[in-house]
Amino acid sequence: MDILIYGFIQSSALLLMAFGFSLVYGVSRLPNFAHGAIYVLTGFVTWGLVQRLGLPLAVAIPLGLTTAALVGVAVYQLVLRRVRGMEVSEVIATYAIGLAILEGLRSLGLRGTSRSLPVFSDGVVFLFDVPVDHQRVAVVILGFAMVAAVWLFTRYTRIGLALKGIAQDERAAMMLGIDSDLTATVAVALGSALAGLGAVILLPLGSVVVEEGYKILIYAIAVCVVGGLGSWAGTVAASFVLGYSQYITVAYGKPHYQMVVMLLAIITTLMVRPSGFFGKQKQLEERV
Amino acid sequence: MLTADGLMVFYENMLALNNISLRCDEGQVVGVFGANSAGKSTLMYTLSGIILDIRHKEKMRGGERISLFGDVHYRGEAIGELKANQRARRGIVLCPERRRLFPESSVLENLKIGAYLASRDEARETLGYVLELFPPLKKLLKRAAGFLSGGEQQMVAIGRALMAQPKLLLLDEPLLGLAPSVQQVVVEAIPVIRDQRGISVIVTEQYARPVMPHVDYAYILENGSTVLEGTRDELLDNPDVKSAYFGC
Repeated sequence: MDILIYGFIQSSALLLMAFGFSLVYGVSRLPNFAHGAIYVLTGFVTWGLVQRLGLPLAVAIPLGLTTAALVGVAVYQLVLRRVRGMEVSEVIATYAIGLAILEGLRSLGLRGTSRSLPVFSDGVVFLFDVPVDHQRVAVVILGFAMVAAVWLFTRYTRIGLALKGIAQDERAAMMLGIDSDLTATVAVALGSALAGLGAVILLPLGSVVVEEGYKILIYAIAVCVVGGLGSWAGTVAASFVLGYSQYITVAYGKPHYQMVVMLLAIITTLMVRPSGFFGKQKQLEERV
Repeated sequence: MLTADGLMVFYENMLALNNISLRCDEGQVVGVFGANSAGKSTLMYTLSGIILDIRHKEKMRGGERISLFGDVHYRGEAIGELKANQRARRGIVLCPERRRLFPESSVLENLKIGAYLASRDEARETLGYVLELFPPLKKLLKRAAGFLSGGEQQMVAIGRALMAQPKLLLLDEPLLGLAPSVQQVVVEAIPVIRDQRGISVIVTEQYARPVMPHVDYAYILENGSTVLEGTRDELLDNPDVKSAYFGC
């Protein structure tokens, strides 16, 4: 029962870490390697607002997410727009931005494990006799709420539908008047905000440290590669496969093998089925 | 309404369009006929602005160098440098070759994505119109577009383009790969769209025979150049056209 419940929580946590990355890639084919950095940056911004300025969490979180979204807009408009279409440059540019943010934070003196975000609510519930603290319940609920919100957004709003069109066939969408620079900006901003959302939910379980940024990036990439880059359903499925694998490894092995699970998953996927669980289906394309 | 003067398009050193001039007046159906590789799709990409995106992407990935020359005017405005989405906003909407539906979205969602430029009322009204124009779509609204037959896909593609509220509709090979009976349905929709919605149409096709009766004016391309042009009746009377395109 332990494994079932905590594996589920770990899976939801992975979903929160990876969904933003997947969304950006799915819509605009941009690999946002600054994902982990934006995650940590949001953590620090929220920490500063809460612990230094004394703002309540309910105010600090929206401000933190807005900051993340604005960073996303800046990253796209100032940098990615110029290199878009050169795949290697996209990776190098976003990775460089990520490094600059993370190491910049480190050089500002934000080291050590003394900073933490407050949990939403202190307390424990028992699920099938397994104790679970409120924050971990929130991880599950908000993880699924996020997926549901994105699903509704891409189904019922004009800009959401435009994102979906661009994701499936960019040029066909352009013919219908959809601006691919605009949708890419929205996607990067939204993806960054989702990274930030992951941060404010998950960081209270540990402490706000720079190293977390690299870890998140690798986790997000592992989930997206296993699920199939750009596939949202694949991201959800892969979160669960990897979440349970990770938790089982921790339960029966050692916690520091967690990262090994992720790296092995990437390697295995690339060897066995490079397009992942739900890679783009080629057979649909050529039906005449 | 739309005039193109001296269009030249080079892919590296290969000349894809050679000094093409074309004109489409308000309320006209204009046909562009030619064999494979005559330059029909390049012409459509040039008129719709997609060629600018192709050129940009090729440049970014270090691929083919594409050079464009010539002017395109639309309602008195030079639009040669406008991006495809800006041209769509002005009313030039391309319904591309091979349809390019959004395969994972349902038919209804394809149409809704097409309505990006439409107001809420326009979208609702046009959706009703599209279903009236192509009744078979009514039963298919929930189906994934990638799983439809070619004819059904073409109806969705035309419907999706109509949702964008075009004033000039560019149809690139709408009959490609369709059964003759379905071809009739699609072809007959063209004059209906023009008459009921006041939309001008430029349509390209390899086979002139099914489309020719519905055009007001037509151009015949060969290897990127216009070899013949004229009104429908002029072309139908032309012995060269008869032998080359109608086989009699």
